[in-house]
Amino acid sequence: MLKNAAHWITLAHLPRWNHQKINYLVKSIYADQKSDLEEFFSLQPTEWQDLYQLDENDILALSEARSQIPNNAFLAETLYNQGFELIPIIAPQYSPTLKENLKLTYSPPLLYVKGNQELLVEDSIAVVGSRNASDISLKFTDNIAKAATENYQVVVSGFAKGIDKAALDSSLKYIGHSIIVLPQGVLTFGSGYKTYYKQIIDGDVLVLSTFHPKLPWKVELAMARNPIIYGLARHIYVAESSDSGGTWSGVKDGLRKGREIFVRKPEPGENNANEQLISLGARPVDLQGVLLEVDETAFPPASSTTELEEKIRSLLAEKPLSAKDICALLELDWTARRMSDYLKGLQGIKTVKSGRLNKYVSQDAVDEQETIDL
Amino acid sequence: MLFNLKKNAAEVISRIEAEALLRERFRLERFHDLQWEAISAVLKGERVLLIEKTGFGKSLCFQFPALLFDGLTVIFSPLIALMRDQVGKLRELGIAAKCINSNQSPEENLCIIQEAKEGLLKILYIAPERQENSLWLEEVRSMRLSMVVVDEAHCISVWGHDFRPAYRRIVNLVNLLPKGLPVLATTATATKQVEQDIAAQITGKIRVLRGNLLRDNFKLYVIPVGSDDEKLIWLGQNVPKLKGTGVIYTGTVMDTEVISRWFQKLQIPARAYNGRLDPETRIAVEKGLLKNAWKCVVSTNALGMGIDKPDIRFIIHTQFPQSPVHYYQEIGRAGRDGQETVIILLYNPADRELPEAFIEGAKPSAYKYEKVIEALKQDLLDEKELMQAANLRQTQFRVIKADLIELGIIREVTIGKSAKYEFVARSKPFDPKVFEAVKAAKTRDLDAMIEYAECTESRMRFLCNFLGDPTNKDYQNCDNTGLPKHRVTLTPEWIELLEEFHASYFPDLETEHRGTRLVKGVAASFYGVSQVGSAIHRSKYENGGDFPDWLIRLLLKAYRKRYASEQFDLILYIPPTVSGDLVRHLAEKVSTILKIPVLHILAKSRHTLEQKTFENSYLKSGNIAGAFILADTDFVRDKKILLIDDIFDSGATILEAGKYLTESGAAMIAPLVLAKTVGGDRL
Repeated sequence: MLKNAAHWITLAHLPRWNHQKINYLVKSIYADQKSDLEEFFSLQPTEWQDLYQLDENDILALSEARSQIPNNAFLAETLYNQGFELIPIIAPQYSPTLKENLKLTYSPPLLYVKGNQELLVEDSIAVVGSRNASDISLKFTDNIAKAATENYQVVVSGFAKGIDKAALDSSLKYIGHSIIVLPQGVLTFGSGYKTYYKQIIDGDVLVLSTFHPKLPWKVELAMARNPIIYGLARHIYVAESSDSGGTWSGVKDGLRKGREIFVRKPEPGENNANEQLISLGARPVDLQGVLLEVDETAFPPASSTTELEEKIRSLLAEKPLSAKDICALLELDWTARRMSDYLKGLQGIKTVKSGRLNKYVSQDAVDEQETIDL
Repeated sequence: MLFNLKKNAAEVISRIEAEALLRERFRLERFHDLQWEAISAVLKGERVLLIEKTGFGKSLCFQFPALLFDGLTVIFSPLIALMRDQVGKLRELGIAAKCINSNQSPEENLCIIQEAKEGLLKILYIAPERQENSLWLEEVRSMRLSMVVVDEAHCISVWGHDFRPAYRRIVNLVNLLPKGLPVLATTATATKQVEQDIAAQITGKIRVLRGNLLRDNFKLYVIPVGSDDEKLIWLGQNVPKLKGTGVIYTGTVMDTEVISRWFQKLQIPARAYNGRLDPETRIAVEKGLLKNAWKCVVSTNALGMGIDKPDIRFIIHTQFPQSPVHYYQEIGRAGRDGQETVIILLYNPADRELPEAFIEGAKPSAYKYEKVIEALKQDLLDEKELMQAANLRQTQFRVIKADLIELGIIREVTIGKSAKYEFVARSKPFDPKVFEAVKAAKTRDLDAMIEYAECTESRMRFLCNFLGDPTNKDYQNCDNTGLPKHRVTLTPEWIELLEEFHASYFPDLETEHRGTRLVKGVAASFYGVSQVGSAIHRSKYENGGDFPDWLIRLLLKAYRKRYASEQFDLILYIPPTVSGDLVRHLAEKVSTILKIPVLHILAKSRHTLEQKTFENSYLKSGNIAGAFILADTDFVRDKKILLIDDIFDSGATILEAGKYLTESGAAMIAPLVLAKTVGGDRL
């Protein structure tokens, strides 16, 4: 049983606090103050203010949350009694892949799991793609899952229709290891545990959720679960993507974060956006998942905007700079205003206050610095 | 930081202020020192284990602080009678207290949960088993909790005299509660070992408060007897002479029935009480006891824990309990008003068999555990499926289930709305040796109980020492320290009275069943009484020929007593599985004497196995379901039928036959059997 399980549940689901905010607090509690949640929650509001520089709203939210801890003890007891485990971000069992991929900004502070926890540290893949997949995509998915099984890799699946479910089914068929990432709380998966009973007790499946245990399936949760799938997988394979929707935005997001993503090279005449993803930097693979030689000359030259973007990003990866600094360093004849507008249009650039001046820095650089090894 | 406390009450309220409030709200003068010590610790948000004798006022140690807290105090208590009783008292004092229990309707419980959520209650009593109820768990999360109380905390420990698996979850819960939320665990009986076990299981700091156990208003006697008949005679001669109202504790459900019927014959006002009674009857008996409606209540140990009757004047055990702790706990229910109270043990060394069988039979054989584990390694199963897969009796299954859960090998999970059992992946293999230490400890405790009965020193000192109370006082309150010794005196008149009783006492069969025309049946005897069981066994399994005539005479007496006013049209009998024509001959003899025609038309449509080979009622019902057939249903239409069988065990056979005969148009089906078994009889 996790010590302070009730405290963790309380903190992990603080209303209107995102993962980043929660993780930063966890970091200051454990890494800076060398304290723990139990002690933290027994502090007076004034101590919260002094030791953790929390503002009035935060203190209000935390006081409110504190009165929920006894109630969450009942929930925690139910979870343990039902065979679930709670893995907080500071625990050694927490997936290192997830931490590495999502950093402090996006890593869920608390995982609810049932099954073989060791799967969290194994090498892992995910096959993603459309809910209405073509036969060839399904064949590809089966090939990848089979190969993963042979290579002792865990298949991470989101339990969604189409490619997602096919990847899980194939992994189970080849008696491989799988992680099912739920688009709902662990207590509402119901008959799912009966369906995968044998695999769970044999240690082949881990069921995982990052949501409040009681939450039922919702579209928003399914969306919020996608980054967890990408995060848990060390290698991502795309079977089929259209030019919008979850797969598309997920892969683009991954590429932007510098993830290596393998996309099935489509056959001529296929109606999907796989080629576009390849042109954006995803790596093409054949039906067996084997990497295809990329003909660099086949690509159109990078547009100047992208070149500019790359230059800015590499500058901001070093240290925070003001809009004016950037213009100067790149010898651009832009106003500072035009530059800051342009920066606001870029994903993954963070604004930091430096006195009265706004400075910009790459989010990845922030994450890099603040990845903590707790 | 305290959770949901109005203000830091411990610092705010002094003992003087608290006692003023005590007078106002509870109409009590003052706290004992130990009570105040417990209360002030609780008000500071500490965890406390309070060991104090019954009648000390342990409940005040949580009821009083509950009033000072802003939120709700939840009390886990295993005894419905106690909950009801305490809630009644609190409500009389105008304190918002309620209890949730399985004897109330779901709607009623739901209503109470709602009130608790709305903050309308200060105190809520619930059974530990409620922690397994998903509705409760759902709703408790929106209650504002101030304190958790674990009553009868000795149930946490396997070394205790009443270990209860449901308490495992309470311990887990307590360990998950935040520091600063007060937890009070109370018990009247915890040996040093149990105390240490409880303190070890509850993590974090726990303050142990222990009071002394001496009850100097008790007069302790041990009266040697040579047989069950001698016990009945002693009771018949002496109970009317005892002052006030009391309780007689028996070892078995059957004995509660036998003794209360014996008293009925002797016109000693008494009632039987045991766990098999329906809730209404139990409540009625509890209420009657409180009002001294009878001289005594004859009960198994199901009665009394927590019944707040201050003036129980005597307690008699007709069977010694498993240990001095059990004994102290049971006699502790008497004489709480401090007035003179008589405590008697009717001691027959041969009675060791019953508690010994409990200890020996407490654990089913290892291979039955393995069967359960194997079944669950294959599939997720519910109780019924699992009992069928492993062919286990329900009582046995429950022991195995509880043990395997305790050992972390299986667990109970909720899938959708239903409870299922699953195997715990990579759990340690089952090793029956884990039970040996507990068994050895129990055997030592039983030896100590016998030592109590046979000792020549002060009996009170013996009990206090055993329970870890070191008080060294000069005790003068038993038949070893100055009080007279008593013995049973057998006279021809009493022996004759008892024989008459044995020959006229016929157990009921609870065979009425909704949707059937079955009426309450009757048996000639209990299987385990006198020579009945062995006579039946000889005839059935040892080629002993037809059932003996004396048994048939007894059966006819039972018939006349129960059915004297009925006119039966015909006799049917349950067709045999293996014992040949025994029941047919029995029915024919009864038919000849009663002059009611017997028809040989009830048959089995398929082969069934002997019911006794099946360990549980699911399998028994399955074995017999749809198995009956009538040559011609016209014979039974609108007829009143006397239905004869030899042994009545689970009742599944009679019920199935009754259903079939009802469907075939019978007007009434009245069961008449030679013997009724009591749980645990070996057939």
